[in-house]
Amino acid sequence: MWQDLRAAWAMRAMLRVMVWRELAARHAGTAGGLVWVYAQPLLTVAAYYLVFDVVFAMRLGDAAPTKAVGTFLIVGMLPWQAFCEALGRGTSSLIDSGHLLQKNAIPPVLMVLRTVLSSAAVYMPLLALLALAYVPLHRGALALLSLPLLIVTQFALAFFLAYLLAIMAAALRDTVQIVTFALSVGVFLSPILFPVTLFPADWRWLLWLNPMTAWVLAYQDVLLQGQWPSWQSCVGIVVWLGTACAVLSPLLRRSRDELVDWL
Amino acid sequence: MTQNPHQLGRRHAAAHEIATDSAPVLDVKGIGKGYKLYDHPRKRLRALITGASLHRSHWALRNVSFQLYPGQCLGVVGNNGAGKSTLLKLLAGTLQPTEGSAQCRGRVTAILELGAGFHPDFSGRDNLRFAGGLIGLDADTINALEPEIIAFSELGNSIDRAVKTYSSGMVVRLAFALVTAVQPELLIVDEALAVGDQNFQKKCVERIEEFRRNGCTILFCSHSLYHVRQLCDVALWMELGQVRQFGNTEAVLASYEASLRQHTQTERHAPDLKGDYQSAPGDTPEASSGGPHSEIDGQHGHAIVAVVEARDTAGENGQSNQAGVPGAGAAVTSSHLVSVEVASLDQSAPPMLCSSDLVVTVRARTAHGDAAPSIGVMLEQSHGVGITSLASHVEGAAPRQLAAGLWEISLTFPDLPLHTGEYVVSAYLFDANGLVVCDEWKACTTFTFVYPTQTPGLVRLPHYWS
Repeated sequence: MWQDLRAAWAMRAMLRVMVWRELAARHAGTAGGLVWVYAQPLLTVAAYYLVFDVVFAMRLGDAAPTKAVGTFLIVGMLPWQAFCEALGRGTSSLIDSGHLLQKNAIPPVLMVLRTVLSSAAVYMPLLALLALAYVPLHRGALALLSLPLLIVTQFALAFFLAYLLAIMAAALRDTVQIVTFALSVGVFLSPILFPVTLFPADWRWLLWLNPMTAWVLAYQDVLLQGQWPSWQSCVGIVVWLGTACAVLSPLLRRSRDELVDWL
Repeated sequence: MTQNPHQLGRRHAAAHEIATDSAPVLDVKGIGKGYKLYDHPRKRLRALITGASLHRSHWALRNVSFQLYPGQCLGVVGNNGAGKSTLLKLLAGTLQPTEGSAQCRGRVTAILELGAGFHPDFSGRDNLRFAGGLIGLDADTINALEPEIIAFSELGNSIDRAVKTYSSGMVVRLAFALVTAVQPELLIVDEALAVGDQNFQKKCVERIEEFRRNGCTILFCSHSLYHVRQLCDVALWMELGQVRQFGNTEAVLASYEASLRQHTQTERHAPDLKGDYQSAPGDTPEASSGGPHSEIDGQHGHAIVAVVEARDTAGENGQSNQAGVPGAGAAVTSSHLVSVEVASLDQSAPPMLCSSDLVVTVRARTAHGDAAPSIGVMLEQSHGVGITSLASHVEGAAPRQLAAGLWEISLTFPDLPLHTGEYVVSAYLFDANGLVVCDEWKACTTFTFVYPTQTPGLVRLPHYWS
C-alpha cells in the first residue's frame, strides 16, 4: 500500500497531467468541453431545489434535521453522487486502461488514483460551494471546520474501495456489474432520500452497511444544523476506512505480479 | 552513417574491449515469467480473496541470465513463442518478473509498441506531453524538446490536429520521434525498423546508429538475421523460454540457422514444390509489367502455374511457407527491385546453366536523387543451404545508373566452382549503407548446374596437391 502511494507521489507531475486529461477526455469534442463536467451535478442540485423547495415547497416531519425537502436532498445527494462517480469509474479504471498498462511501465495504482482524483476535482469545489452557502446560516459555527476532513476522508474511502474493487474486477469482470447495481440501490440504503428517523428502528443497523451513511449523517449534522458530527458517524468513518485498508492490503500482495496480465 | 562496413567491424571489436573493464548496463539474473492459468475467472477471484492456490503454472520464460556492457548491441533471435517478446517486456518494465531480477543502470527506452499511450481525441501536441510523461520526461524537458520532435516526425502543422485523423504512419513517426528524443543508456528495439515508409525507416536506423556511436547499449529483437548480423556484436538465441545460446553474433546465428535448416528439412514434404513456390515473382508490382526475368520468360508462366498449385497444397496441408514471395516482407513503395536476370539459361525446367560462368544482373529503381543503392545477391542450394551471399556496398562496388533512379549491376562468378545440383538465386536491395532492406526477392531464380565429376561434394575450393 505504502509502496504504491510512494510510487504515485514520485509520479505526481504525471498524475496531474493524467487527471487533467481524464477530465478533458470525458467531454472531448463537445462545444461546452470542461463546462459540462461541472454543469451536470450543478444542474441536478438546481433541479432538486427548484422542484422540491420552490415549486412544491415540500416539508419534512418534525424529527428531520431540516424542514425543506430540497435542501435535505442536496446535502445528502451531492456527496453521494461524488462517491458513486469515484467508485463506479474507479472500479473499471484498471480494465479500461489495460492497453496503457500493458505497454508502458507505469504502476497500476496511478489509474485508480487518476479516476478518483478527477472525480474529486469535480466534486470538491462543488462541496466547498455548498459549505460556503451554509456559512451565513450558522454564523461561522466551528463545526463547519470539520467539513474539509469529511470531504478528504470520503475520497480516501472511495480510493481504497475503488482500488479493491478494480483489482477484483480485473480478476472477475462481473464485479463491475455488481458494483453498478449496488450503487444504484445503495441510495435507498442510506439517509439521503429520507431522514434516518423515518426508517423502522429495528432495521436502522442496515443503513450502516452503506459506507456513505456515516458521511451523509455527518454532512447533515454539520451543514443543516451547524453541529459537530455525531460520535456514531465518527466511529463509522474510522471503521470503514480501516476495514477497506485491511482488505485491500492482502489483495494487493496477492495480485501484484500478475495484475497487468489479467487486464 | 557515413562509415563503411570495415569501420563497423572495428567498432564491434572496440565494444568487446569496453566490455571487460566497466560495470554492466544491464544485469539480468535468472529472470523468469510464469503465468498462472485458472480454469475460470471465478477461480481467479477466489484465489485472490482467499489466497488459495487454484492455478496451473505456465512458464513463458525461465532462468535467463546475461549481462550487457556499455556500447554493446545485443540481437535477440528465436522462433515465434520462444519468449523474446516476454523478455523484452520484462526488461522494459511493462511486465513484472515472477522470479529473478533485471537491473539496469540509467535510462531505458523501449520501442515496443509505438503510439500505445496516445489518445485519439487529443492533438498530437497534447499527446506528446502525456506520452512524454509516460516515459518519464517532465514537462520542461518535453517543452524544450518539442520543436525537435515535431521536426523529426515530419508532421508539420498536423501536430495540432487530433491524433484520430492521423494515418498509422504518422502516429508511428510521432511516437518514434518522442521516445528517441532523449538518448537512453539502454535502448530496446522490437522489429521497429519495419515502420513507416522507406525514407522514415532510414531516419530511424540512422538515429539508432547515432545512439550506438554515442555509446548507447542496444537490445534488438528481430526476425531479420541480416540486421542482427549488421548491427549486433553479441546475440542471444532463445528457445522455449530459455537461453539456447549467448555469445558472439556469428557463432550464435550460425547455430541458429543450422537448427532452422534442420527444422525445415524435417518438416518439408515436397522440396521441388517449394523451389517453384519460392521462384514466384508474383506480388511485386514489376512482375505484372513483364519486366523481370526476361531471360527465363519461357519458364515464367509455367512457374506461376506451379505457384498456384503449391499454394493450394500448402493451404490444404495447413502448412505455412515462410520463405515467401519476393518483396512480401519489405515495403515496395519507392525503392524496389526491377529485374533479376541470370544469363545463359536454357529452356528446360528448371533451366540449366549453359555456361561455366554465372552472371546475375540486377536492376533496381530508387527515388530520384538518392545515392547509389547497395545490391545483394545470395546463392543457395535449392533446399535452402546457403553457399554465399554478397553485397555491393561491402565490396566497394556500386551499381551504374542507367537513367535517373534506375540502377543496374552485374555479378559474375567466373568458372562457377560448384558441383552438379539445383541452385537458387535471391536478390536484395539495400539503401546505400546496407542497413535498410528496401526490397527482397527471395529465391527468385532456380537453375541447375552440371559439373562432370565422380567425387561427391558441393563446391570446388581453390586447392593444390603437393
